[in-house]
Order: sequence, then C-alpha cells, then structure tokens
Amino acid sequence: MKQFLLCLAFVISTIGAAQNCTFTFLGELTDFHDGTPIVGAAIYIKTLDRYTTSDENGKFKIENLCNQEITLVISHVACETKTISFKINGDTYKAISIEHHLEELNEISVQGSTVKRTTVTAQETVLKADVLTKYSAVSLGDAIKEVPGVSSINTGNAIVKPMINGLYGSRLLILTNNVRLQDQEWGVEHAPNIDINSADQISVIKGSGALAFGSDAIGGVIVIKPRRSVAKDTLYGRAILGGQSNGWGYNFTSTINKNYASGWFASVQGTLKQNGDFRAPDYNLTNTGLQSQSISARAGKKTFESGFELYYSYLYNEIGILRSAHIGSVDGLINAIESGRPSIIRDFTYDIQNPKQEVTHHLFKATYYKRFNNFGKLNVQYDYQHNNREEFDIRRGELRNIPSLDLELQTHTLLADINLDANLDRKINFGFMGRYQDNYAPDTGVRRLIPDYEKYDFGTYITAEWQLNDKLLLDAGARYDFNRIDAQKFYRRTRWEERGYDVDFPEFVVDEDFGTLILTNPVFNFHNAAVSIGMRYEINDNSFITGNYNLSSRPPNPAELFSDGLHHSAARVELGDLRLDPELSNRFSVTYGYQNKSTKIQLDGFVNSITDYIYLRPTGVLQSIRGAFPVWEYEKTNATLFGVDLTLKQAISDKIEWLNKSSFLKGYDAKADIPLIDLPPFSTINTINFNVSDWNNLTFSLQSEWVFEQNEFPNFNFETQNPTTDETVLLDISTPPPAYNLFHFFSQATVNLSDRTTLNMSLSVYNIFDTSYRNYLNRLRFFADEIGRNIQLQFKLNF
Amino acid sequence: MKTIKTIFKPMNTRFFASMLLCLTLVVSCSDDDDAPLPPNEEEVITDVTYTFVNDANAADTVVLDFEDSDGPDGPNVPVLNVTGAFTAGATYTATVEIFNSIEGEDITTEVVDEEPDEHFFIYATSLDMTFARAANDVVRTDGNSLGFETTWTANTAGMGTLTAQLWHESESVDDSTNGGFGSQTGGEDDFDITWNIEIQ
Repeated sequence: MKQFLLCLAFVISTIGAAQNCTFTFLGELTDFHDGTPIVGAAIYIKTLDRYTTSDENGKFKIENLCNQEITLVISHVACETKTISFKINGDTYKAISIEHHLEELNEISVQGSTVKRTTVTAQETVLKADVLTKYSAVSLGDAIKEVPGVSSINTGNAIVKPMINGLYGSRLLILTNNVRLQDQEWGVEHAPNIDINSADQISVIKGSGALAFGSDAIGGVIVIKPRRSVAKDTLYGRAILGGQSNGWGYNFTSTINKNYASGWFASVQGTLKQNGDFRAPDYNLTNTGLQSQSISARAGKKTFESGFELYYSYLYNEIGILRSAHIGSVDGLINAIESGRPSIIRDFTYDIQNPKQEVTHHLFKATYYKRFNNFGKLNVQYDYQHNNREEFDIRRGELRNIPSLDLELQTHTLLADINLDANLDRKINFGFMGRYQDNYAPDTGVRRLIPDYEKYDFGTYITAEWQLNDKLLLDAGARYDFNRIDAQKFYRRTRWEERGYDVDFPEFVVDEDFGTLILTNPVFNFHNAAVSIGMRYEINDNSFITGNYNLSSRPPNPAELFSDGLHHSAARVELGDLRLDPELSNRFSVTYGYQNKSTKIQLDGFVNSITDYIYLRPTGVLQSIRGAFPVWEYEKTNATLFGVDLTLKQAISDKIEWLNKSSFLKGYDAKADIPLIDLPPFSTINTINFNVSDWNNLTFSLQSEWVFEQNEFPNFNFETQNPTTDETVLLDISTPPPAYNLFHFFSQATVNLSDRTTLNMSLSVYNIFDTSYRNYLNRLRFFADEIGRNIQLQFKLNF
Repeated sequence: MKTIKTIFKPMNTRFFASMLLCLTLVVSCSDDDDAPLPPNEEEVITDVTYTFVNDANAADTVVLDFEDSDGPDGPNVPVLNVTGAFTAGATYTATVEIFNSIEGEDITTEVVDEEPDEHFFIYATSLDMTFARAANDVVRTDGNSLGFETTWTANTAGMGTLTAQLWHESESVDDSTNGGFGSQTGGEDDFDITWNIEIQ
C-alpha cells in the first residue's frame, strides 16, 4: 500500500543537493476519496521529535532539514493514522492522501463495533451483538423476533423460519457476510443454515429496499454481518457457555480474532450445541433432539485503499422431528386432532431417530476491493455454497437408513460492485451478479420432489443517494434480474396428463420409456425488475419520517413449479404448477420515529399489494391405498397485506424502563375474498427493565408475551371418512389455537476480571408459569403443545 | 464417529469437481448433463389381494382386490373389486398378496418373511363375522400374531364393509383387542382399504 501511495505521490521537485541543513519539506494533505484539503491534521516528525499542523489549504512546511530520511506520523480526527517516510534530497514537495471519511465510507472500523445500517431510508432495524448473545443457544429465526413485525413459521421447536410482515421462504433474502444464502429456502421445514453465533450484527430490512442484494425480496432482507476488523495490533475474542433445563441442552461457542495495525486480520469461530427431547408442560416431545456443529474462519487484509478477505464456514445440523407428527394418512391427523396429545410419548433421550433432518452447509467466499482516488470503490466477490439436505422418514425395511429426500445444491456466484462516493452528498452504487446453481437429487427410492436442475441468474442494479440538505435525504434504485431454470424431472404419466401438461408443454417430454414415468426437461426463463424510491426527512432534532416505495418481483421457486407428492406431517398431496408466473409486489411504507431523553417511539406502517401471489390451497381429495388425502395446489392470486409495527421505550426512572413491541398485520386473498393462511395474529410484548448499573451492571427484566388468537383465517376444513369408526368427520385444520400470554424473566451481570476481560453471567426463565399453549404458526400444532418452562444459565467471557 | 463421517461425507468428488469448476468460473455449462436415473420406488404398494377360501369347500372363494396402478400419489382413482360373496355359516381362511406393479416387486415376502416384527395387520368389519388369527399365522417376536393368515366365520347374512390395514413401525400392537381384530399405537399405515362385501 505504501508503494502505491508513493507512486501516486511521485510528483517530485528536487532543487539543489548541498550538504547543509537548510532544506524545506512542503507537504500537501488531501482527502483520498474526494481530493479536498485536510485542515488541522497533526503531523509528528518522528525523526526530529517535532510537531506541526496542516493549514487551511491542507499544506504544511518543515524547515531546516538536512539530506536525511524523515518519518511522518499524520493523524486527524476520524482519519486513519498514517506513518510515511521520505528521503530528503534538497527542497522537497509531496502530496499525501489520507482518508477522512472512514466511518461514512463504511470502511475499516476505528472503534470496533459500531452500528452500521445497510440502507438509508428503508425500514431497517439493527440487532447488535449484546442482543444476539441472548439467543446463542437457539436460532436466527428466534433472535430476529426481537424486531416487531418479524415472526416465524416453525416446524416444531428447532426449525424456525423467519417471517417478515407475514412473508417467508423465497420472499426473504438472507445474506451472511455479503453472501446470499442458497440453502433450499423454499420449504417451510427448511430453516436457514446460519449459526447465530457467527453474527456480530443483524440488519432486518422490511421490504425490498436493498436492491444490491436482489430484486425478489418481496418480504424483506436479513443481513448478517461478522465483526468488523480493527486496524490495530490486538488479540481479542469471546467464549459463551450455556445450559438449558428444557431438553437438557448445552451450547458452547468461541471466537478468536487477531488484528494487526497493518490491516491484516484473522478470526476463527466455532459452535457446538446439543439438546435432547424437549418437554411440553404435560409430556415429553419425543424425538425433538438437536445436534449442531459449526465452524468458520476469516482472514485477509483491509486498509482504506484496498483489501481482500477469504472466508469459509461449515454448518451441520441434525434435527429430530416430533415422532408423532409423522403420519401416514388422514387417519393419523384425525386421531391427533381428536386426542389433543401426541400419540407417541417416550422417556427423555438425546438420541435422534427418524423422522429427522440432516443438513450440511459449506460456504466459501473470496472478496477483493480497491478504492480509487477521487472516484470510489470497486468490490469483486466470488462465493461457492454447497448445501446437502437429507430428510429421513419412517420407512419400511432396508430403506430405513436412506433419506426420503436427498438434495445437493451447489451455487457459484460472482459479484462486482462499484460505489461512487467521491461526493458524499450524492453517492451512486452499481453492480453485476452472475450465478450458476446445480441441484442434484440422487435416487432415494422416492420420486424426487425437487428435481435435478440447473439455474442461471444474471442481475444488474444501480442505486443512488442524495443528501439534498441537512434535513432531507433521497435514495432510489433499479434492478433487473434474469433467471433461467433447466430441470430434468420424472413425472407420473397419469399426473402429467391430468395436469394438462401434455397439451401445454409437449416440447418438455424427453423420454416416455420408463413405465409409469416419463422424463421431462422443463426450461423456463424469467425476467424480474425492481424499483425502489425512498426518502428520509429529519423533522427536528427529535423526530424523523421515512417513506418508501418498492416494486419487486420474484420468480416461482422449484417447489412451486415442480412439487408433486405426498407430504408427511401435513398428510396432504402438494402439487406445483408449471404455469406459474413471477409475483409482482408493490409495497408502500412509512416510518415515524421520535426520541428524547426518556422516550423513544418508532412506528412502521406498510401496504404490500402482490399480483400473482403464489400460495398453497386445498383443491380436492385424492383417493389412495392409505385412504383419502387432501390435495393442496400452488395457485396464484392477488394478495394484499398491510400492518403496523410499534416500538415504544419509556424511562420511568433512571433505573426502570418500560418497553413495548406490538405488531398488527392483515392479509387477504383478493380473488377468493378470504384471509390469507398462516399470518401472525396481533401480538404485544411488554418488558420492564430494572438496571442496577452501579452493581456490576446488574439488570433484571420481566416480560409478558401476549399473542392473540388469529381471528381471520381461511376455512380449509374438509370432511373425511374415519376409517376406524366409518363415520364422516369434519377435520378442523383451520381454526387457530387460542390466545396465550407467556411470562419470561431475564437477568444478567457483568464483572470486570481484568482491564480487558469481562465475564457476563445471565440467568433466564422462559415460560415461567409452564403454560401449555399452541402456536398458530407452528406446523406441528395439531400434534403437540409448545415447549414449557426453560431455565437457562449462560456465561460469556469477553477477552 | 458419526459426526466425523458427516463432516467428510460431502467432500466427495462432486464437491471437488465443482471447486475446480469455480476456479475456471465457468458459468456457461452446456446442456449435456447426464439424465437422472428413474427412481426405484420400492416402497410403493399398488396391489392388495385378499383371497378367502371356504374351509369346507375349496370352490367357494371370495376375492377382495385393490389396484392403484399409478401409486398413492398418482391421480388415478384406485379400483376395488369384490368377486364372490361369503356364505352364511361357513368359515374361510384368508391370505393376502401385496404387490408393487411399478417396480414388479412382491411386497408380501418383505412383510411376512423378512420383517414381520415391523408390521401388523388390523381388520374390521361391519358384518357379523367371527375373526381369528390362524394357528399357522406368523408370530412376531413380541408374541403377537401378524395377521397374515386369518380365519373368518360369516355368521348372519347382510351387506356391509370389511377393512384391512397394514401398519409398520408401531410403538405397540395387540392382537387380542377388538375381538381379535387387533389394535396398534404410534405406527404408520402402509394400506388402509375398505371393501363392500356381502354375506348370503
């Protein structure tokens, strides 16, 4: 880097070469990114032990120099401190660039952990490390529910899929360390493959405002960032050890970071988690154990002007699925609903048996950036992801040890981004993305739900940001994405014809010579556009308002296109549709924020109108050897969602604080004129925090989590024959469970063990009163209650 | 041991091949990939046939047949056939044949010979019939008779239904409940078929 600077500064004027000490060094300091003079920088001439400062033109003079080498240490508020040496050979002039806007330019951190928003006008909430630590033992989906308007759709207790304003799965983008996670996010029982402990900060962005990441974030974007490296010689890290009474689980995680003043850095992080069967207040939840391991490593060099990073992460999860939720027929569902208890309750064990999931995720990334004088920054990134998902069902015979579903998804992505930020009042970013994805499904003895496919994506975007005046900031962006999916799928010939595909897509048929099956090669091209316009207006020192309009579009995912098969635990046949079109979303949002010494209010409102919204709905019944199964088909409709999320913080005294987070959401299928399924009901969370800061930062919190009954839901109940009693029964799969109010307790204290070492201890009790309840957004709610009281003890050592 | 295996398992040739691929940054793959192999659908049951033979008269048979040629998730409606009627007062011995016509595989052997402990048959009827698991029925390790060989006495004439179920991976089974028809908990059914039958 030094050489690079010297090259830049090679405007040398040399006068004379006498041996006396009468020479003058004239320096001119300019700001690297926009070329403006740096005024009032402190310049320490190490060799002479003298100080000087730069004048209003950024110039400084050092007189009475001999022909010698001098070393300058240049420092300035909010600048990186720079040490440079020059050889004096007569009177010398040097132009020196240092960067004054490190923080604004989102570059290397001076302070270490600071809150850095990803967007400027979008509805974004940043969760910091201290909040995330509380969730060390659980998952990403649990942690981000800290943000009002964010909920989750669960399969049991361990598979938690984030939901933003009622949307989830392919409608959310998840980025980890600037890599878009590609982990078969289309399935409801596919939770994101992220170790929450690898995150230092998580930004939750409602809506599709962050166009740099994709055009299909109809619901929102979750940006997970590791800790930023610090440009100083230091070794630091943390270790967390925790235990939980429910499921007798433990979690251990540790991170070690090594940073150098030269900009080199390296860090390693690993996590181990395990729990046995969870317990509902009245019974064990048999086969709900979890085993999780992850490791990640980062290394590279970051300076203001250039840098690179290599990153690798590995995650392995083995997750047991509640045994009694695996049902072979509607009969099982009838029994589960009628009895109100799981049909299989065994003693506690750590053993995980079928049904279960085993998921492995590898992620490798290499990134390089370079900043150009008075221009901006170029960032190039390549990433590779390998996701293997194996789902084991209860199967007969030797098939028992073979997963029913085995998918191997590999993704290569190449990104190039250019940030033009020479003028901080008018920043422009643009970039390109190319992606190749290959899904391979080996034979498992079950017709592949998700077929082998290759997918090609190309995207380009531009975003711009204008600081019009002190009060008003505008941003806008546009993005275009092209997707091509090229699949090879075996269809049951009778199904192919029943869907009418033989008429509409005869060109897809490759080979009819497979008995009851035919091999097809569906190829689809999708064009997707996105637009975003936003503003932020500072009303006064205490309050602001932001407004946003986002247009985004999402192509149908492989599950929506290709599903055709029986889904256990739902006891239904799910059918995709090759005729689906991309969804198109128009989302308007407004946020109002107010803050003074004792009060903080934030109100997020939105309306999201989605054309060709794809969702599963029941359409009929399929007779089979195991009785009648309801058939659910992916259909398109027009949907409208709207809602308001509130955060309210009120200091009652200097030690007591009241916090309220509430969210209200409604969503309707405009064509069928019915409410949308699986939307979170109104919920309000009240927390009282007691802070005894003069005693080791001791804090206590009491929380009430009050979730109402969802009173608007589509009626998808159906009549079926109970094979045991031969009676016709109405199977109520629609009515949401009643409201519940849970109470939680949290306490923590931090002890300084030495200058640099602190120990944080926390004790928390989840569901203090061991309340039995069911959650509308848990797909296993027909089979068992949610987990009961859980006492958690956790130690965190920061060093 | 298991975890170590799992860590290294995905590091197969496919993994490395694609890492190499990434180095060359090939995004323009041609469409010459190998076509996938058709799945070997060993688990599917397409045909179930119960044959009842009158102990006193081998010519008096009742055949209850079920056929779903495109498997449980195919759209074709299963075809149920009943040939013959039961004679009031007669006792029949029944056997079952289970077949997978998609793969041409006899499932009966798997259920009866290879893994009787994992399976259990349960029956029900709305008619007046006396049921017993036959003396030569396969007996599971837990002492319960499988229900593969059964005897049925048709008592009084009438029209009604007969239901046969095959379960696997049950938590517990009991061949003495429901008048010997049997019961189970926690299992998953392989088939659950109801025929309309007649006793004359």
